[in-house]
Amino acid sequence: MPADAAPPQDVKRKAAREVIDILHEIATLLNTKLDRQQLSYCVSLIENGAHPEALANVIRELREEYGTDSIDGGAEEAGAR
Amino acid sequence: MASFNRERVEHALNELLVRIVPEFPDEDEEVANERYDAAYDHAYGELSEAGDLRVVADINHVASQIDRRLLSDAGGAQKSARFNNLLSRLVSQPVLDQKWRMLYFLHELSGIPRAPEPSERRGRLRDPATPPRHEATSGSPAFRDAFARPGLSQIPVNEGGPDEVSKAATIRSAAVPRPERPERQRERRIQDSAPERPRDGEQADGTEGPTEPALLRDLPFTLQGLSSTNLAFSSSTVIKLPSSLPVPLVSLLHTLAEPSLLYRGLSEFVESTEGGLVGQSFRSALGKELRSYLGLVATLEGQVRRALAQLDEAQPHHGIGKAGVTLKRCVIWTREATQGLRLMSLMVEESRRKKGGALISLIHSFSLSHGDPYVGAFAERLLSHVTRPFYDMLRQWIYDGELADPFGEFFVYEQSEEEIHAAALANSNEGKGGATSVWEDKYKLNDNMIPTIITQEFANKVFLIGKTLNFIRYGCGDAAWVDTYSKEASKELHYGDTANLEQSIGDAYKTTMARLIDLMANKFKLFEHLQALKKYLLLGAGDFIAVLMESLSANLDRPANTQYRHTLTAQLEHAVRNSNAQFDSPDVLRRLDSRMLELSHGEIGWDVFTLEYKIDAPVDVIVTPFGSKQYLKVFNFLWRVKRVEFALGSTWRRCMTGARGVLGTVSDKVGSDWKKVRCGIAEMVHFIDQLQYYILFEVIEASWNELQEALHKPESTLDDMIEAHAKYLNSITRKGLLGSQSTDFTGQLHELLKTMLAYKDAVDGLYSFSVAEFTRIQEQAARIETRTAAGHWGLTERDTSSPDPFANKRASRSDAGSPFPPPLLNIGDAGASEDDVLPALRKRLAHLIKDFRARITILLGDLIHQPDHDMRWLAMVMNFNDVYQPKRRHSHRREKKREKDKEIPSAAAPKTGSGKSTS
Repeated sequence: MPADAAPPQDVKRKAAREVIDILHEIATLLNTKLDRQQLSYCVSLIENGAHPEALANVIRELREEYGTDSIDGGAEEAGAR
Repeated sequence: MASFNRERVEHALNELLVRIVPEFPDEDEEVANERYDAAYDHAYGELSEAGDLRVVADINHVASQIDRRLLSDAGGAQKSARFNNLLSRLVSQPVLDQKWRMLYFLHELSGIPRAPEPSERRGRLRDPATPPRHEATSGSPAFRDAFARPGLSQIPVNEGGPDEVSKAATIRSAAVPRPERPERQRERRIQDSAPERPRDGEQADGTEGPTEPALLRDLPFTLQGLSSTNLAFSSSTVIKLPSSLPVPLVSLLHTLAEPSLLYRGLSEFVESTEGGLVGQSFRSALGKELRSYLGLVATLEGQVRRALAQLDEAQPHHGIGKAGVTLKRCVIWTREATQGLRLMSLMVEESRRKKGGALISLIHSFSLSHGDPYVGAFAERLLSHVTRPFYDMLRQWIYDGELADPFGEFFVYEQSEEEIHAAALANSNEGKGGATSVWEDKYKLNDNMIPTIITQEFANKVFLIGKTLNFIRYGCGDAAWVDTYSKEASKELHYGDTANLEQSIGDAYKTTMARLIDLMANKFKLFEHLQALKKYLLLGAGDFIAVLMESLSANLDRPANTQYRHTLTAQLEHAVRNSNAQFDSPDVLRRLDSRMLELSHGEIGWDVFTLEYKIDAPVDVIVTPFGSKQYLKVFNFLWRVKRVEFALGSTWRRCMTGARGVLGTVSDKVGSDWKKVRCGIAEMVHFIDQLQYYILFEVIEASWNELQEALHKPESTLDDMIEAHAKYLNSITRKGLLGSQSTDFTGQLHELLKTMLAYKDAVDGLYSFSVAEFTRIQEQAARIETRTAAGHWGLTERDTSSPDPFANKRASRSDAGSPFPPPLLNIGDAGASEDDVLPALRKRLAHLIKDFRARITILLGDLIHQPDHDMRWLAMVMNFNDVYQPKRRHSHRREKKREKDKEIPSAAAPKTGSGKSTS
């Protein structure tokens, strides 16, 4: 993340949470089946320069591979958490 | 991939994978770890291998894609609204600096299908082993990508499709070498195929049926209207699309099929050969447009080939979106051409039943009245080709006077003989007497064929020019001039060059008209002929007519069947030689001829004699056969008037001379009768004088002046001349009491003239009676003298009772010597009837003069109520001292008619009776 020293730490965290909230809502809208934590790591990955399309592909591949698909995926992830 | 922060990425990826890769409780830790490591390695490798994004870094673009996707889902509008709300909040957040990337990631991962497609189309995916262009292979990523892209992204850079595909391939290659659970994988895939559907939207684009590259390869042929494997033309208007294509592709192909089908129809039309010259040039113009369309197709084909070649070289299953040629793009490239083709086919449809000028008008209407500038420009372009034969025809027509129009497309058409005949018949119904003329009837203007590129006035001018040239060439036999003229003046005419065209038409008009007038005036002596007509047929040359009448009168008193043409022509010759007519040009005199009208029983020479002025070829355009008839009509009328005038004049003269000698001696017996007769004759002479004066001076001379004026106008054309001459004749006949529509002056005048002649005959009878009386008295006196000298009684009983054969003989001898017709009542044959003769004569004279006066009052009544002021003036002159009481015929018409009907037989009866008595 680019150094943005000016705002205090909690303000920044609050903002980050809000962004994650928004993104999570969008993700739900789009039916991506990502939970909050997964999403935040994804955000972190992408903010650090990961290729979004590649990342999406990886996630899809892995879901397919390991059966963490649609319906039971959420439960599994929830359990894993 | 230097761009990312390795440490953080590793950490985040690790955390993420922990949350994704499941742990199975029955597995031992090692296997789980191995699996996790494998996944981690794979994911990490994937991420580090991924190159730069090829999507435009634009949050709006990504957002709009997401939006579209949401909208396509159930309850899309609501979701979309919510998304937009979230988006605006997100944008306002300062935290993330790569928001579009995040959105894009979510978009990629989305489980909502990309496009609304029928679910059966989402079939089995990913089957890399099968060869391309097979139905089962349609799911291969390259083609899926190829199919999916154009429908989604309209921004030229594609959305990293290839990367995705390559990644997918890598994943697969990473997955495949793992032999431990292939069965499971396969099981899973089969199981998963159903649940997978909702979320692999973009993958669902894969279809059965031909692939886009295949279609692209076929496209150039299709656009040229040729059948290909996938797209076959089942008939000229039907193209068969392969079934089992996805809907967007079908719609694209529908769009592309339009130009193909239009082209096919048009090329068929262009190759057909029927139709006239304009039709053919229309075809050629269309052909030219089609060639430019083919040029476009050729370019397109080159593009397609290059794109396909690129595909083949680089990655065989690569999306063609990268190469820049897709079906969608083809649609856009051909859009303008399609519009052109559509327009052309519209024109073709509308032009089916049109030809020539009408066709030009049709195309011109597109260029004029269509609001779309593209259509206007297109039609203009077509017009410049289509009008070429028209302008060729126009040129030939206005410079050579030849109609080169084998297909009847020009707005001038030549009438065939039958048509002319039919027109003549139609004319004869209108009272033109069935006369035809080369000038009027040979060519006709066809209003339907006048193209809208020229105005009506202009067309008339053109028509006139050509007609004039043609007339000069054939009618006037001056082909040489026409040839030189066409050589000098001929110019190429083009569409669009209106000013030049107008100028050249104007020039041609002036030149040809001037030439024609010149020819008419100088070569064909039109004006001389008109002058001669006026002189001889309208009795302009008084001396000539006087001489002719004098020399002919004896001849013409005889019955018509004793008239011989040679005597008439001899008399005519005589009249010419003895009058000023001898100084006229021989050409004019040559045309002057006398002849007899058709004989009918009981007519005398006066009724059938007529003068004739022969008009030949070019001049008869102006002095039409109908005009000649009018002239003859006028001449006959004038001749009759002249004859009456002459007869009355000679009778008057005899009265005057007789009064000094013969009549004076018998004045005790017939003096009062003669007084009445003189009054009657004076009345008639006055009437005839006024009539003649009116016709000759008020009518003919006035009209003649107008004609002269009209003919010598500088810019007059042949048509103007014809019109002026027709007007001239018309005014003469109308004002000359010969052609009035409302009242029958001719009949009245003829009756009047007849009455006058009868009166004159009666006067002659009276004169003869007077002479006979005179001789009787003389003889009696002489006998008395001789008897007295012989010593007898001067008078005996015998003398008064019996006629004297000698006296009788003398009377008849004196009659034979006179130039007048034999008296109606031959009174010398019976001395006993002498006493009956005089009352009969008196009665007849009185009756005739009464009849004359009655007729004159009617005539005056009619004249006074004429709209024409000249005619009213005539009535005034005839009745200047109000001797007659003009009667309106309207109120008494029926009565008068009945009276007239009674009068006519009663007037004719004594005549026939007397005729019998003479024979």
